[in-house]
Parts: sequence; structure tokens; C-alpha cells
Amino acid sequence: VAKTSLTSPPWPEVKLPDPVEEAKYHAEVVQKVNKMIATGQYGRLFAVVHFASKQWKITSEDLIMMDNVLEAECGDRIRMEKVLLVGADDFTLIGRPLLGKDLVRVEATVIEKTESWPKINMRFWKRHNYQKKKIIVHPQTVLRINTIEIFPCLS
Amino acid sequence: RYVRQLQRLQLLFSPTAADARGARQFVEEAALDFARRHPDVVLYISPRAGLAPVLLAEYLNGTVREELIASKTSEEIVQLATKLARQSGLDIIRIRKPFHTDNPSVQGQWHPLTNKPSALTVQGPRLQPQ
Repeated sequence: VAKTSLTSPPWPEVKLPDPVEEAKYHAEVVQKVNKMIATGQYGRLFAVVHFASKQWKITSEDLIMMDNVLEAECGDRIRMEKVLLVGADDFTLIGRPLLGKDLVRVEATVIEKTESWPKINMRFWKRHNYQKKKIIVHPQTVLRINTIEIFPCLS
Repeated sequence: RYVRQLQRLQLLFSPTAADARGARQFVEEAALDFARRHPDVVLYISPRAGLAPVLLAEYLNGTVREELIASKTSEEIVQLATKLARQSGLDIIRIRKPFHTDNPSVQGQWHPLTNKPSALTVQGPRLQPQ
């Protein structure tokens, strides 16, 4: 059959490797990463954490602020679950969608619980003698991420 | 380790004025509980006649905040005091970003040339891969 411009798709054809070989390769990579974590060869770790209905990319010693009230008092240590991704300089661990709790540990401290700056909520229609003014102040919490730790229990 | 940002709370009120009634009740009933619950905040109570009752809060970075407590009940003053105790001395203005990092990039910041093959490996019409 003659080859036209539509016989093969326009993207380059990709050959998938052998599943057995691929499994062996995966096991090798996992063992290597495990050894690296166990010996402690990683530098700075960053993590992507789902917290207060938002996803944050955090490292150690950084500040995060949220527009709600947490039930913990100032100075309490909090452990964050729902970790989606952890990465270091040479490797990253991607969760589908979350990583296990025995693999990552993210700790944070509540530093401050203040109120926001006073926001003005005003409605005005012209020529209708209608105006309403309301000043909204909502509570905020400031957290500082203390540590991100990983444990070598991959499989 | 957590350091509270509030240094001292000064409660200035007059013993005879009518609008300092809540402050007097607070001093009689709730001041001891408050001081015990926040052991790292110093509470000064001093009488001052002729001016409105005021709660002064001083923070570790030097900012001083004054809150009027005239015609407030004892519970409201307690709530105000706990709110001030949890704050830090930064100004309450609009903050542009809800996060702050000192090390924003761990694996190297992205620039348009990351993950692109270099000119040495690209196979062009005349250029052979070296």
C-alpha cells in the first residue's frame, strides 16, 4: 500500500520498552533513591502541600499566611498531612495524588493570629440615593514551616 | 521555640470615672487569670485620673498600640487583650503576598533554556550531532 501523508500520525513514533526490563529499571532507581535518602545526601527539601484549600510550595523556614482561624494557639507545632510532592536537588517524589504519611513529615508553628487590614465594602448607585458602607476585618493566621523530613521507606 | 511578640500591656484607667467601670471589673476579676495564662507578658496596672481609660500594648520591635476601653465590658476587654497578645508589632496594612521565602528555588530557577537540547546535539540539515 502506498504511503501517503496520513498513513502514520504526525508525531514521532515512540517505542515502549520491555515491561520486565522496565520493572527492573524501576526497582534499581527506587533502591538508589532509598539509599540516597538513608545516607542523607539531600540538601534543601521543598514540598507542595494542600492546606486551607490552597496548594503551597514550601521549604523550611518560610512564612505562610491564611485568611481563617486555626484552632491551635500561638506557639503550637502542627504537622501537615496532604503532601502532594517532595523534591530535593537530585530527585523528586511525586504522589498520586498524596504521598504516604510514613514517607514525609512537614512541621509548622503558629506564630501570629492577627486581623487583616480594614477593608471597605461600599455600594453606591448614582441618582438613586443609595449607598452602603461596611468595614470588614477578618482574622488571619501566620505559620512558619519548621522542618520537612523524608524517611527511606519507598517500595 | 516560640517567642511572644507582646512585651508589656499597660492598663491606665481612673478609679472614679464612669466609663472605666469595665476596666475596674476586669482588674478585679479577670486580670489574674489573664496574667497566668500568658506568663511571658508583663501586665502593668496604674491609675490615671482625668483621661479616658486606655490599654497600651508594646511589642518587641518597638511599636506601641493604644486601644480605648471606655464603656466596654470585662469580657470584651479580655477578648481585646488576647487579640493583642497574639499579634506581632508589624503595621496592619495591605500585605501583597501571603507567603515569604528566603530560598525560593531548590532545583535551580527555571529560565527559558532549561530542558532544551543544546546546539551541539541538535541535528540540522547541515549540522551533524557531535
